[in-house]
Amino acid sequence: MIPVSIQVRQALGKLVLPVLLLLSVGIIIAGQADRRLADTARMYVADALAPLWGLIAHTQTDVSHLVQGVKDARHLAEENAKLQTENAKLRRWYDVAVSLARENDNLKTELHWVPEPTPAFVTGRVVADSGGMYARAVLLVAGTTSGVHVGNVALATNGLAGRVTEVGPHAARVLLITDIASRLPIELESSHATAIMAGDNSPMPRLMYYPQDSRPIEGERVVTSDQASAFPMGLPIGTVHYLHPGQPVVQPFVQLDKLTMLRVFDFGQSEIEPPDAPGHVPLTRPHRPLALPFKTLLGQGQEG
Amino acid sequence: MSDSTPPSWDPDLEPRLTLGQKLDRTARHLLPSAFIVLVIIFFSAPLAIPGSAELLSAIVIGSVFFWSVWRPTGMPALAPFLLGLFMDLVGFTPLGVSSFILLLVYGISTYARFGLMRMNFLVVWFLYGLIGGAASLLQWALACLFRLHGLDPAPAFFEALLCIGVYPLLSATFSWFLHILDEKESA
Repeated sequence: MIPVSIQVRQALGKLVLPVLLLLSVGIIIAGQADRRLADTARMYVADALAPLWGLIAHTQTDVSHLVQGVKDARHLAEENAKLQTENAKLRRWYDVAVSLARENDNLKTELHWVPEPTPAFVTGRVVADSGGMYARAVLLVAGTTSGVHVGNVALATNGLAGRVTEVGPHAARVLLITDIASRLPIELESSHATAIMAGDNSPMPRLMYYPQDSRPIEGERVVTSDQASAFPMGLPIGTVHYLHPGQPVVQPFVQLDKLTMLRVFDFGQSEIEPPDAPGHVPLTRPHRPLALPFKTLLGQGQEG
Repeated sequence: MSDSTPPSWDPDLEPRLTLGQKLDRTARHLLPSAFIVLVIIFFSAPLAIPGSAELLSAIVIGSVFFWSVWRPTGMPALAPFLLGLFMDLVGFTPLGVSSFILLLVYGISTYARFGLMRMNFLVVWFLYGLIGGAASLLQWALACLFRLHGLDPAPAFFEALLCIGVYPLLSATFSWFLHILDEKESA
């Protein structure tokens, strides 16, 4: 340190504040003149402080979780009582279900019921909302090598998702029930009335051609119907909902925009051939022409 | 530094400080600045506290005021300058604005410290309210100047109110701190 007299040191001490004030004004002007320099300096500081900030934010979330946990713990007894009553109720329903299943088995044995074949299925991962010609279709990683065929039914966890329309060796395209090209026969579960569910690219497909004397009821379950032999009976689809009066739509059980896995079932519908009935004129199978849509494009006269 | 000077010549007639004493003294001098730096880092973190930017300014202005009145050795003129610069770098105010404001607060409070120290706490609080309000107003005016159009004065008003409101808490905390430090010194 340079030895200076006390007076000089005091004078220098008094000068520090004005000099710093001037310096800060200079920095203000420099920062306004060259904004990029200021931004670069800011970025360096922010980079250096980022771990600290991360630590603080982490601590904050931990503390809020802890507080939430303590709050939850206060309601623990209440929740426990609620769950116990619910459990008792469910236990009763379990007993009912077991006895019903047993009764059902007994009745089937009495009637010499022919058991339905268990359908074979494969499960695949949904990889893409594929393009192609459909607006609402997904691509599935399961193809002919896994036994998927055109016309197989794709089910998600809790209901019908769509039908396989094209299939390659390792991938299959599933046309969802919401697509505008999708029209399927359905049955309203409480009235057993049949109708057609037509997709319109919106999340809720419309209901059409329902009988006028038994209209769909709000909240009614909609299941597949085996008309036209495209689907087996009774696969759950959704519930009826009225967006506007007189315009019933189906709210699907499946969240069709968030599909991750699909099970593709081969119900073997097309293999059920009716036995020949001697003396009757053999009718053409009603669903056969559906397999070749080009025929309808050709005129009627060119077929025969 | 003591090694560079010849041992025969010593301008002060104090006994040489030991390493521990030196560290202790440095720590005392750096304590307010370190506190403010921690406050700046904490409040500039992505917290879910509403109005944390205004609260940060209020706390920093209050701390600078308190230390420059009651213990100027803990708050040399360089400290408000560097703290303000740090605040500007971390926040979104134009570079140097906070330094300028903090230096003004520092200058006023060191100039008036011998008058302020004799006064009642309520009077000091009132005067500090004036200084804090003026600082908020200046900050708002400078922000308007740099954006080249009038900004909403509500945040500045809010900041002034926070400045005034947070001071008793800061003052109590720092006084308690000073008390502890002085007790240690005398012990």
